[in-house]
Parts: sequence; structure tokens; C-alpha cells
Amino acid sequence: MTQGRPVSPHRRAALAAGLFLVGVVVIDVLLFPPAQVGVILLSGLYQAMLFFLVASGLAIIFGLLDVLNLAQGAFFMLGAYVGFGVYRLLGEGLALGLRFAAALLAALLIGGLLGALVERWLIRPLYVRPLFQIVLTLGLAMVIREAVRTLYGPAGLIPIQPPAPLRTTLTVLGAQFETYRVFIIGMGGGLMLATWLLLRRTRLGIIIRAGVEDREMVEALGIPVGRVFTLAFALGSGLAALGGMIAAPYIGAYPEMGDVFLLNAIIVVVLGGMGSFEGTMLASLLVGLTRATAEQISLEYLDTPLLASVSILLIMILVLLVRPSGLFGSEP
Amino acid sequence: MKTSMDRQGAAFFLGWLVATWAPPLVVAGMTALREGRSLGDVLCAPGATPFSVTGVAVLTALLLGVMGARRWPEPWRGWVERHGWRLWTVSLLMLMPYVLAWLTRSSACRRGPAFFWESIFIETFILALLAVSYNLVFGFAGILSFGHAAFFGLGAYVTGLLMKHLGWNLFLSGAVALLTGALLGLFMSLVALRTRGLYFALFSLALAEVIHMLARNRILVHITGAEDGFVFAVPAWINPVRHRLLFYYLALVSLVVAFAFVYRLLLSPTGRVFLALRDNETRAQMLGFGPLGYKTFALVISGLLAAYAGVLRALLNKGASPNVLSLDFTMDPLLMTILGGTATFDGPVVGAFLLRFMEYLLRNAQFRVGPWSVNLGEHWALLLGLLFIAAVLLFPQGLMGSRQKGQEIS
Repeated sequence: MTQGRPVSPHRRAALAAGLFLVGVVVIDVLLFPPAQVGVILLSGLYQAMLFFLVASGLAIIFGLLDVLNLAQGAFFMLGAYVGFGVYRLLGEGLALGLRFAAALLAALLIGGLLGALVERWLIRPLYVRPLFQIVLTLGLAMVIREAVRTLYGPAGLIPIQPPAPLRTTLTVLGAQFETYRVFIIGMGGGLMLATWLLLRRTRLGIIIRAGVEDREMVEALGIPVGRVFTLAFALGSGLAALGGMIAAPYIGAYPEMGDVFLLNAIIVVVLGGMGSFEGTMLASLLVGLTRATAEQISLEYLDTPLLASVSILLIMILVLLVRPSGLFGSEP
Repeated sequence: MKTSMDRQGAAFFLGWLVATWAPPLVVAGMTALREGRSLGDVLCAPGATPFSVTGVAVLTALLLGVMGARRWPEPWRGWVERHGWRLWTVSLLMLMPYVLAWLTRSSACRRGPAFFWESIFIETFILALLAVSYNLVFGFAGILSFGHAAFFGLGAYVTGLLMKHLGWNLFLSGAVALLTGALLGLFMSLVALRTRGLYFALFSLALAEVIHMLARNRILVHITGAEDGFVFAVPAWINPVRHRLLFYYLALVSLVVAFAFVYRLLLSPTGRVFLALRDNETRAQMLGFGPLGYKTFALVISGLLAAYAGVLRALLNKGASPNVLSLDFTMDPLLMTILGGTATFDGPVVGAFLLRFMEYLLRNAQFRVGPWSVNLGEHWALLLGLLFIAAVLLFPQGLMGSRQKGQEIS
């Protein structure tokens, strides 16, 4: 990692990303009536938040450990299954809201615990062989997905009921929008802020950021970097698991639910610059809004959802060709 | 000096080839003359034939020769010690259809059990070819690619679609398919040269995924058949059902030639630079070897070989489906390479055989554990994942890794 890097390329990248976002909104306004624009923006935000929850883990883990954790999608799915399990376990006696909150908490904690175990027992022996770490996380993702499919069947779980206030629909500029998706946006925004504060304002955050910059120096200062690594890995996988539990009542819980989110999260971290948390925040907004817009355009003008996935991938390929280390990444 | 070594080597390999084929062919020919049958009739007879019996005798003799490599006089001794096992395996695979015919008491060139086993071998040869091409990028050039399926799948799609829609002949469409693979490799190297390892892995993943999505999408349904894929008419002379034996030898020769090519390439001075760049890029650059040309070269050659595997696959299946572009065909060669031994010559081939035959044997295996009855074939993906983790953690050198280390390339 370079020290004292010039600010200007990042400012330029931020400007470009901002311009792109404005451009997407302008396209929306030009193509669609105002009510639809509202819905597109909300649905873009909703997608952005879910991508962010998977991608932030990827970015933190990569920034600190130089490990690309391709099992994030599997943790996302696992979070939903754990949450649903806890929800069912608590039974009818408890208030719905309480059961739901317990499910969210359980997903976060068990996801984090699993992440810690994975880091300690599977990833740690491989720090000397970085390419093999990626291969290992890929194998882990396969194992988790197939194990869940074997135990719970390929069809997925019966969706659970979120608390009553979240089951209504809102009217946005005259168009209908589910309250639950607004809840997802709120939760995502809250977690985004919380993670940002954790990284910027706490001692742990300082250590993590210092570790991203210069691992040896932090170690030399007597900080147990190994434990911090485990914690960061747990944080990343916990966030992904929580994201899965948040998303599942809306998109359903099934063995492959994490795959699409992993692919989009990868695009987000690559666009944002690996290891850059702010870059990840901005890039997830960018990807979410672009996807929502492209989905709407293909719904109205083409008869296939192809544009949504391909547009994002093409943007990523273009960005990599122009700026190989992403928008906010440091030059290698 | 070098040319004389090469000439001796060529003579040795040629001698080996003659030793494998001449005795069985002579015996079969004599039988045909004595009994007044045609040579093809003798070769295709079911069960044990003069050809297969002589073939097995030759294989046994060659095996003894390899095991007693130390007794050979120089310079042959060096050749046998270095390549004996490889050559014996090739001889075994060359005679395999007839050995199979003997073992299964069926004909080597007509429908029957031997015919079926030949198709399994053909599939394995194609996968091994793919793994060899993957190893060139991953093992020897040190580039982790998650987009290898794009080369393979494009090879299959381009050949099939050109033949189906434009009516081009096999050789022209095949050449265009190879060119497509090489060009894709060139395009990928544009990014590979500018980025660190992970970005390239993700970039190649995304690129392969775009192509996969395009192939699956209904927009192009009239051309690609979307999810269902397409079928096309394979020229009669190479039809894998009617002339499976021919196809068997085509796939085998392709694999052997690709293997020899990669081997020769890696032992050349150019190949040495590959390894230097992989092991310590900064140092290699200081010595005056820039990574640009070499990485591009590795990706282009690898793309070409993978596309060729794709062409064979399309011909074997007489069509292609989006599956050949999916992540499966990146994961398979990756696992084969790691299992067999990354950056070894034989590793990917051994890995391909191991994986393909394991899959075949386990597909229909039914186990009883207490009250549960487990069908392993249904959980093949789970087993693959576990194998991935075990291979990476427990034997990262792979099966061939420890044996070959220090002997040729480390």
C-alpha cells in the first residue's frame, strides 16, 4: 500500500461517479413519469443496500487480509436460514416484532461466529499462498450451498412474516411501494452509518484501518493483528449474514440466493476499489441505481431482463480497462 | 549438440511408437491373411482378438522396460527415466479401446460396453486438454483466471454456430473458433497486464459471465437456442457415434500434442522466463524480462488450447448448451490442476482422469449408513467442494507435485 498518495485521482473518481449517478437519474426523469422515477430510485436504493451489506464484508476482509472471500454469498444465504430457524424456534408465544428482531440478531451473531471459525481454521494456514485462499473460499461456498440444499431441499424455506407494520405498502408520488423494501433501505443505511462510525471513530476501527495501510507497522506496535484479523473477518461475514436475513422475507430463502448478490458485490468492490470502504459505499449506490434503471428500461422497451445484469458487468469491465484498481483503489 | 539430442529424442519417441503399434498390427494382419478376413474385421471382432492379446503383451514388455530403466544403455537410459512412465501411459491409452473390448467382451468399433467406455475416455481427454491449458495460465504464468469457461464455451459455440448457420466447413469454423479463443486471450491480457492478481480473477469472472448470460438469453434465441442450446450436423467422417474410434484417437492425439507443446514451451528459454516472472516478478524485471509479452503469450496460447477443447466438445456432443460457458468449466480445470499438482506437467492430466472417473464411479453409488441410504451422485457438488478445501489445505502440492519437484521444474 502506498503512503501519502495524492488526493486528486480520488477526487476525480468521485466526480466521475457523481456525474454518472446524476446521469442515471436524468435518464430516468427523461424516460419515465415522475411516479415511476420515485419507484426506480427507491428500488435502486434497496438493491444498493443489499449489495452493500455483502460488499462491505468483502471490502473490509480484502483490505485488511488481502483475502477475497468468495464465501460471502454463502454466508448471506446462511444468515437467512439461521434467522428463519430462530424465528420458528421461538414459537407463537412471543410477539412478532420480538421474534423478528431475534432472527436478525441471530443471523448477525452466528454469521460472525462462523466467519471467525473459518478465518481461524481454514484461512489462516494459507496466508503464505494467497491464490489458494480464494480457491478455498470458493470451495467453502460450494460446500455450504450444497449442504444447505441437502439438508433443507432445493426449493427453499417457506417465507416468514415480518411484523405487521412492515407488511403494508406505501404510496410514493402516486405509485405503490412495499414498506418492507423501505425497511431494507433504512436498515442498510443504518448499518452503513454504523460500520462507517466503527471504522472511523473507534479504536478498533483505527487498528483495522492502520492494518489495511501497513500490516507490519501495526504488528510492530504490539497490537495482536491476528485477533483483529479474525474480528474483521467475523464482522464481514456477520454483515453478509444479517443482509441475507433482512432480504429473505422479501426475496425468499433458497440455496442459491447468495450467488447473484455475490456477483454484484464483487462488481461493487471492484468498482469502488478493493479495500476502500467509502468507495464501496459509493459504488453500491452506483450499481443499485444503474441496475434499477436498466431493469425498468428492459421492462418497458425490451422483453428481457438481460440489460440489468449485462450493463453492470460492462461498466465494471470498462472501469477496469481505464482504472485497473477501481475508482478509489490505490495504485498497485 | 542440441540438435543431435533432439534427433536422438525424436528417434526414441518414434521407436516407442513403432514398438507399440507394429507387433499387434503385424499379428492382426497375419491373422487376417490366414483366415481370409479383412483387417478391419479382425480388429473389430468382439472380445479377445489377436490384436488386443498382442497389444497387452507389448504393454507388459514396455512396462518391464520402464521399470528396469536403469539397465538401459546411455543415451536411452536418460530418455526412459525421464519419459518412461509418460510414454507407457500413452501406449496404454493408444491400445485402450482394444483392451476395453477384451475386458467387456464387446467390439471396439461397434455399439456396446467398450463403445460406451470410449466415450468416457474421450470426455476425459477433452477435460484434460482444458486442464493443461488452464495450468499454463494458473500454474506456469501465475495468473488466477475465473473466466476459462469463456474460451472453452466460445470454442464450442463458434464452431457449431458457424457450421449450422453459415454452412462453413469444419476446418474453417474450427480455425475461426481457435482464433476467437486466442483473441479473447489477447483481450484479457490487456487487463491482466495492468492489474494485480485479484482484479484479473474478478474481471475474467465478469467477462465469462457476460458471455454466459448472452448465450442463455432469449434475445439471441434464433441463433443460440438460449437455455436449450443448439445442435448441428457434424460431418459424417468424424461423427462421434459412427466413427467413435476415430474420434477417440483424434482426442488422444490432440491431448498428447498439446501436452508436448506445453512441455517443450516451458523447457525452452521462454518458459524459464515464465517461471521467473511467476516466482519473483520484480527480480525478473530487474534482469530485463518485462512481464508484458510473456503474460500475453501465456493467455493467448492457453485461450487457443481451451478453445480447441471446446471445438472437440461441440463435435462430441454434436451441439452446445450454455452449460459449456458456465462457471463449472472454470472450476473443473482449476480443481483438476490443484488435485494433480499445480505447475507440474502431468498434474492436470492426472487430475482430470481422477476427477472424471471418480464422478463416474460415484454417480450411481448407493451407500447405506445405518437407517440412511445415501446416493453420492446426488451430492457430487458437495463432494467437489470438500475436495477443493481438502486439496488446498492438506495436499497443496497435488498428487504429482512432490514427485516432480526438483526433477524438472520447481
